[in-house]
Amino acid sequence: MTERVAVVTGAASGIGAACARALSADGWRVAGLDLNTSATELSRTVDVTDRDAVAAAVDGAQAQWGSVDLLVTAAGYDERIPVAEISKDSWDRMLAVLLGGTVNACAAVLPHMRRQGSGSIVAISSELGLAGSEDNVHYATAKGAVIGFVKALALECAGDGITVNSVAPGPTDTPLLEDGSPWREPDYLATLPLRRLVHPDEIAATVVFLAEEGSFFCGEVLSPNAGAVI
Amino acid sequence: MPAQFPRVPVALVTGAAQGLGHAIATRLAHDGHLVIVNDKEDSAALTDLATQIGGLALAADVADPEAVTELVSEVAQRFGWVDVLVANHAAMAMAPFLDMAPAPWWEQVEVNLSGTFRLVQAVLPGMRRAGAGRIVLIASEAGVVGMRNATAYSASKGGLIALTKSLGRELAREGIVTNAIAPSYVDTPQLQVDAADAGVSIEDIKAAAAGRIPMGRIATPQEIAAVTAFLVSPGAGSLVGQVLQPNGGTTRTRA
Repeated sequence: MTERVAVVTGAASGIGAACARALSADGWRVAGLDLNTSATELSRTVDVTDRDAVAAAVDGAQAQWGSVDLLVTAAGYDERIPVAEISKDSWDRMLAVLLGGTVNACAAVLPHMRRQGSGSIVAISSELGLAGSEDNVHYATAKGAVIGFVKALALECAGDGITVNSVAPGPTDTPLLEDGSPWREPDYLATLPLRRLVHPDEIAATVVFLAEEGSFFCGEVLSPNAGAVI
Repeated sequence: MPAQFPRVPVALVTGAAQGLGHAIATRLAHDGHLVIVNDKEDSAALTDLATQIGGLALAADVADPEAVTELVSEVAQRFGWVDVLVANHAAMAMAPFLDMAPAPWWEQVEVNLSGTFRLVQAVLPGMRRAGAGRIVLIASEAGVVGMRNATAYSASKGGLIALTKSLGRELAREGIVTNAIAPSYVDTPQLQVDAADAGVSIEDIKAAAAGRIPMGRIATPQEIAAVTAFLVSPGAGSLVGQVLQPNGGTTRTRA
């Protein structure tokens, strides 16, 4: 089999790390972009809001392995702030990382994928981008914007052999849900049809499926969310 | 990730004699399922498929409640219970809304929606005893965005989507997860129905559909079978009540 090359942002922890592990296990070469060092074959410490740095890291992976076949954008963070108290800086930073980081990474891989005539992009969004949320409306808004971006980019790339889709996780058992998070409370879990958090490996399995066999998905949002949003 | 089935999973695939069901049965067998292939009537195609994939052919008309009961009883006698149900059977007839008599209109709802409802009813006790199950209902893009000259088909498929969501909510806590797939145009013999309605050849209908789909082509049955295989795989256990739409982008552009 030809070597397949994946670029994963946010690869140092949580969902990004799970995606990187699952892809490696399936034989992919994985370049991990993160603020921190990631346990990937090609770890690059990069701030996804830095467009040039992201492009340089992606170009480096392409130069080393000869192609860029998959982009997974998982870099992100959350903070819980009531809407009236979200400062301009908080709002701007959230959009810059979640939406801007996704845009920067897509801009970096697309020239390579267009030249190849093939590629897949899977942007990690969130069920909160589908159904909204309270106490982190900037996060929900930015994730919703990622979904809109994915749908538009998918149409733009549909004729180029490049698929663009999103995975919108539900409450997932990662460090993003800190101890004491309301999403870990038994009262909340009891509202989930599945009665448990999503496992990061389940998000990774969905990403791997889209990358390897999701050839007719175009701008879709797959949401492994334990039934939180149906 | 929670483990899934403690045995080689037994999958029941309806509408399996040809087209999408045939591809799904083939894929699930390839992935290690013991597959029971069902269609309305016994046929060489159905028995040949069962032989090819090392499965079992059981013909039954899913629109007939007694036949559904007998079908699932037969499976239970041989294999104990059904782990995976893929309800893929469908009846489709096209005509302008007022031109279709009530009988053929309701027949499509009876086969597609009520037949599926009864199948789920029949397999549930076994899944409950096993404490695990995967249910995949093959819906259609027509159930999401509608389709001209196909009101009954669209209503039945829209009903399947709501059934999927409700079963997802109701059964997930028991380890039984339900999802749907809503394909658009797939390269199967069913396209003959569309071709006949438009008064053109099946090749013409494929070309016309491809021209409207952003990805510039229609789906292969194998692509939809792969989606089914994913939904019944261990990693898909937290997808609950979802509708997956491998449609090449056509919900945006369909005429």
